[in-house]
Amino acid sequence: MMGKLIKSNTKDNLKVSKNQERRFKKKPGDIVFALLNGAFFLAFTIICVFPFYYLLINTISDNDLVKRGMINFIPKGLTLSNYLALGNVKDLWTSIYVTVGRTVIGTSFMVFVSALAGYLVTKKEMWNRKFLYRFLVITMYFNSGLIPWYMNMSMLGLTDSFLAYIIPGFVAPFNIILVKTYIESIPAELEESAFIDGAGYSTIFLKIIWPLSKPILATIAIFGAVGNWNSFQDSLILNANSPSLYTLQHRLYIYLNSGSNLASMMGTGVSATQAANAMQSALNTKTIQYTISMVTIIPILCLYPFMQRYYEGGIMMGAVKG
Amino acid sequence: MSGVRQVTAEVKSTRERYTEFLCRILQVFAVVSVVILFSPGLNPARMTGYIRDNVSLFTCGVSYTALTRSMGRALNQGWISYSSIRIIFAAGMTIIIATILSLANACMSLGNLRLKNKGAILAMISGIMQLFASVGLLMAYASISNTDRPDKVNPIFPNAVYVYIVLGAVMFLIAVTQIIIQPKAPNTMNYYMAPKYKLFLMFLPIVILAFLFSYLPLLGWRYAFFDYKAGEQLSINNFVGLKWFTLLFKNEATRNDIVRVLKNTLAMSGLGMLTSMLPMAFAIFLSEIRNNKFRRFVQTLTTIPNFISWVLVYAIALAIFSTDGFINTFRSQFGPGVYSINYLMNNSQMWIKMLLWGLWKTLGWSAIIYISAISSIDRQLFEASIVDGAGRFQRMWYITAPSLLPTYFVLLLMSIANILSNGMEQYLVFSNAMNKSSIEVLDLYVYNLGIGNGAIPLSTVVGMMKTFISVILLFTANGFSKRIRGESIV
Repeated sequence: MMGKLIKSNTKDNLKVSKNQERRFKKKPGDIVFALLNGAFFLAFTIICVFPFYYLLINTISDNDLVKRGMINFIPKGLTLSNYLALGNVKDLWTSIYVTVGRTVIGTSFMVFVSALAGYLVTKKEMWNRKFLYRFLVITMYFNSGLIPWYMNMSMLGLTDSFLAYIIPGFVAPFNIILVKTYIESIPAELEESAFIDGAGYSTIFLKIIWPLSKPILATIAIFGAVGNWNSFQDSLILNANSPSLYTLQHRLYIYLNSGSNLASMMGTGVSATQAANAMQSALNTKTIQYTISMVTIIPILCLYPFMQRYYEGGIMMGAVKG
Repeated sequence: MSGVRQVTAEVKSTRERYTEFLCRILQVFAVVSVVILFSPGLNPARMTGYIRDNVSLFTCGVSYTALTRSMGRALNQGWISYSSIRIIFAAGMTIIIATILSLANACMSLGNLRLKNKGAILAMISGIMQLFASVGLLMAYASISNTDRPDKVNPIFPNAVYVYIVLGAVMFLIAVTQIIIQPKAPNTMNYYMAPKYKLFLMFLPIVILAFLFSYLPLLGWRYAFFDYKAGEQLSINNFVGLKWFTLLFKNEATRNDIVRVLKNTLAMSGLGMLTSMLPMAFAIFLSEIRNNKFRRFVQTLTTIPNFISWVLVYAIALAIFSTDGFINTFRSQFGPGVYSINYLMNNSQMWIKMLLWGLWKTLGWSAIIYISAISSIDRQLFEASIVDGAGRFQRMWYITAPSLLPTYFVLLLMSIANILSNGMEQYLVFSNAMNKSSIEVLDLYVYNLGIGNGAIPLSTVVGMMKTFISVILLFTANGFSKRIRGESIV
């Protein structure tokens, strides 16, 4: 057996194939294993994706069929009426503006601050650099607890305010570590030559560090954006008394818990014909909930292909500590 | 000649050293005045009972509406004259500007002589402005204390004015001294600051933000020692010492709650740890799939749930498991009988269900780190093992798994440190009247207790205990890691 293997190896040892195992004959056990393994992963993948598909087909199918529970696997009687009806839900639009606003503003500031901080902490000549860096990093390992945090935010006047979504997110120590690690891998010669040419710190940061660290900045931007989009807790706790500041997830949470009111709400504040149309299309709580859920998921799904390019790199870099 | 010049450049003259010293003092003053500006206890604008005692001078000087919020009637009735309130507002604003100027001086005095010269002028102006504002505040007090209705207006002499008088006077004197003794910088000298201070000043705002949102909340721990209700003030009258700490153990209802909540927390974290091998197994078996496209397909689609929020997971749970969800409609359509069971509204196996939702959401994502680790294993190891006659499972067990163990170990230690922090979002969205008793974890309990019931001191105590235990666990886990692997995880 061993002799055979070695022979077959020496025969074509110049041909370096990627999967050398392939050269060996497949045993029936291998085939069974491959089938079972494949079947398991296929099943798990379906479990992961089916709920999204189920939501989608129920939002684009005829509402009457949905109500009768006829839509399980295949959409029937395609219609976009559910999505068009969302225009009447005022609260939803307010929360969409709030969420989009915090995602765009919060993420941009977070990325800029992380980049700047990540760059500054690589500068050995900074006064008290070690202390200040530790002062930042150590905040990842303790936390004051929910109530003191809430009391602090209210003391700083950051309750019932849009700024409560933005300002606390400026400094993200973990992202600062990621950026710092990345910047340290950029050849120091680039910076030195710019320095000799008379560039100051801000010029070096904007003209050299910022463009060169785009991959890591894209990674933290994506994670930051997803985090902002999915944020729910700060809206729930800090802005509980300002419905106009509820984030989309908070709004969805309320809709999910008070579904029955939703259908009636669709009827109010709408002109008579529209209300009649709404009645005709038999809008029910279930489909509205599904539709709003879809609206909340869709941006994530659209961003997902772009995210995929970056998140693996981000994870690996997270493993390298600063 | 050049040698002599070098020496004179390095050794500072006595006057320069004194200037340096005065600059340091002014820097300290700048920091102190910022702290005073933001502390409600030292608010010189609080000279009537209408101005709440949790308002700082900063608020009074920035927002006229905040200043006059509760005194509308007093102003209309003429108990307090508009002019005195305007003087208070103007004084507040003046002090804010003065503080900004003194901060500017604190920054500039880190630079060279030219910058120091300019900064000293700012400090002098700042001192004068503070003195002016103090005089204004005293005038406003004189007007307010002459009110017709002292019972309503309740004039209080603002002792904090003295602080500003002293602060302003001392700042003015020091700045003037500095201007007199400091060597004059020639006009040809450029503005310059040593790189180390420049970098420090650039970094300072970031540090201040971290202080405001991560360190300052620790001040909130003081609520644990007071009988505090929302809207009240902390004072010696409602100081209760360790009452809440003992209540936690003495009061039977609270104790039972804590035991129940801890049981849920530990059970869910424990189940999470027991299944922490799954992502690794997932990665190992996934890498056994030969077809690249299929592997990529699985990896991509199983990661999606990680990126949606728990609220959306709950929306999905409703769509699948609620009364008119997928399971029920499917069974009604294809099986005998009509089903309308709300699977989310019962209390059975809540721990397992929560675990399964957690796995559904994160399994594919958690596997990624192992998948990357597998791809970095030396291929030659596998080839050698095949040559030696190792089977598929032997390769998995003796090559792949051991090379993933270090990663697994770090993640496991981190989960030990986080054993009490399961987060609250998942449990909040899934909780309802039926399952509350077995779903409430510590984080959710603190939320329900503090935000829901307004029991701020008690929930602070619970949160404090949690933080202490978590930090201890973190250091223990780190110690283990150091001892066993010679590497720290913190």
